[in-house]
Amino acid sequence: MNVAVKSIQKILLTMLLALAIGALFILFIGENPLEAYGALLRGAFNGKLKIGTTLASFTPLLLTSCAFAVAAKAGAFNVGVEGEVFLGGITAAYIGINWTFLPAPVLLIVCFLGAMTVAALWALIPAVLKAYYRVSEVCVTILMNSVALYITSYLVSGPMSAGVANAQSLPVTVNLPQFMKPSSVNAGLFIALITVVFMIWVLNKTTFGYKVKTVGTNPSHAEYVGISPKKIFIQSMMLSGALGGMAGCIEVLGVHGYFLNNFAAGLGSNGMLASLIVKNNLVFAPFMSFFLAVLKSGAMGMQQSTGVPKSIVDTITAVFIIVATMELLFQFKDKKNKKEKSK
Amino acid sequence: MDFGKIFSVSLIYATFRSATPIIYAALCAAITQQADILNIGTEGIMLTGAFAAVAVSYLTGSWLLGVIVAMIAGLIMAMIMAVGHIRYKAEICAIGMGINLFALAITKFLLNSALGKSGTFSEPGIIAIPRVSLPFLAKVPFLKEIFDNWCITEWFVIVLIILVWFVFYKTVWGLRLRAVGQFPMAAQTAGINVNSMKYRAIAISGLIGGLAGAHLSLGYSKMFTENMTNARGFMGVAAMYFGGAHPILTAAGCLVFGLTDSIGARLQAYGVPSQLVLLMPYVVTIATLAVSMASKMAREKKKKSALAKA
Repeated sequence: MNVAVKSIQKILLTMLLALAIGALFILFIGENPLEAYGALLRGAFNGKLKIGTTLASFTPLLLTSCAFAVAAKAGAFNVGVEGEVFLGGITAAYIGINWTFLPAPVLLIVCFLGAMTVAALWALIPAVLKAYYRVSEVCVTILMNSVALYITSYLVSGPMSAGVANAQSLPVTVNLPQFMKPSSVNAGLFIALITVVFMIWVLNKTTFGYKVKTVGTNPSHAEYVGISPKKIFIQSMMLSGALGGMAGCIEVLGVHGYFLNNFAAGLGSNGMLASLIVKNNLVFAPFMSFFLAVLKSGAMGMQQSTGVPKSIVDTITAVFIIVATMELLFQFKDKKNKKEKSK
Repeated sequence: MDFGKIFSVSLIYATFRSATPIIYAALCAAITQQADILNIGTEGIMLTGAFAAVAVSYLTGSWLLGVIVAMIAGLIMAMIMAVGHIRYKAEICAIGMGINLFALAITKFLLNSALGKSGTFSEPGIIAIPRVSLPFLAKVPFLKEIFDNWCITEWFVIVLIILVWFVFYKTVWGLRLRAVGQFPMAAQTAGINVNSMKYRAIAISGLIGGLAGAHLSLGYSKMFTENMTNARGFMGVAAMYFGGAHPILTAAGCLVFGLTDSIGARLQAYGVPSQLVLLMPYVVTIATLAVSMASKMAREKKKKSALAKA
């Protein structure tokens, strides 16, 4: 049995176990789990609007899961993707509102570049602290998420406020075209898909990708063969940040059209979940992102048509991740195989 | 701006008050750190404890029962992490984050389904941890402001810091725990069961983490809100790094964050935007962490070069 088949098998087993544990929770509050899961699927796929909404929530997860995976390949545990999404979003909003002297197509590109640069610089801070001073990047990035949230929240309720009751910025002057209206799915979906394919190519087929993976698996070996682990670590963290910033830019320009306070809550952590479940495999991560997007967008429909609160979905995904991280959980089959082989 | 009003006597208690939940969290992280396990799940353990404490206190009307159940809830969360990490070789950061997300989701789910509320749960039926008033201090002006009317768990944290310090550095168990953390193979050769030591460390850490949550929801405040820990668990982990898992230094680190928090709260009265005030403790945490790690590295480098010369 080859490795890919085995890991897919493991992911599916984990998924079933997580859904089963979720069903137990639903039974516990006296509802029918099958009905609830049915309502969940209907909520995600029934009708054009619902499919569109599912795809719209799939778009940022594609990028955030990829962002987490890229950092993880170099051995970083980048929990800070969420903060990078926020800062990318606010930069895109600022450029999109104020730099109107540029023609629209150029402005669009500048929005993306600005968002990615700021987010990459944000990711540079924990990267340098980790590479040169061995400060735990997990701790720093988590705390920096809160800082990013408060900074953007201050900006949209103060200097950049639109002056309405909600904390939000003025509308941006360029937008990514939306198709499948009235849902908010937009051209960003294709940008995200192309980016993910590009990242898979970069990591598997380029020298940079080889260096990143070498540093991630064995930094001392990397040092011996003349790769600077510190430099590569920092570069991959910045790349991860840039991807997060791109997700923020797409959300602002494509979905909302303005910067909405706290818009990215959960985008980073769900991307992290998707990536962790598939062991940071860039090829599987998009599929897992899609599964999580279905759960998220179906949750509202489930809450409306059955008595199950939508927070059950978060519980299921959390159980999923806990089970998925346990490396040896489904290894009993391997032992059997080995025994048979040795005979 | 009136600096006399910001830096008054009451700032001392305010600092200690906002540092206490972080001190509990930091002790929770320090115990596992001594066994070389980074307890990223502190936040989740604490949040579960906070919810369990409020729910039980509301349903039974007993704060003590609430605290006990909170500690048991913390223990359960910690044991999930322990089994995953030790038995099934889960990466500690990954499963720790899993525990955090699980705690966030399950408390939200139970708040919705079992208590029928969303967002915040604040009822008069919640019995808070009682405060201790010291009548003999009533006539002493300075000390009265500092020491009067502390919550029981605020007094207890001082006991706990000393207790944990004593266990770490003055008992055989503590020595074994540190041996497991520093060189597990040597510890095993000396006849210590490494895995059982790790299980015990995580279990105790879970109990303290649950207590941290109970203090946060029943002592520090008297309610439960979604994600009410608000990265306090991570601040605890940062303080643990700052203090090198030494309980007393760690607690001192927490006081720095507490001080920032309470100065910030006062600055808000002078028109400083609330978001900027709220982000201050986080920035200070990151800065202290960076400076302490950098100076630690510089010290190590110095030691190494001294050896090379000799």
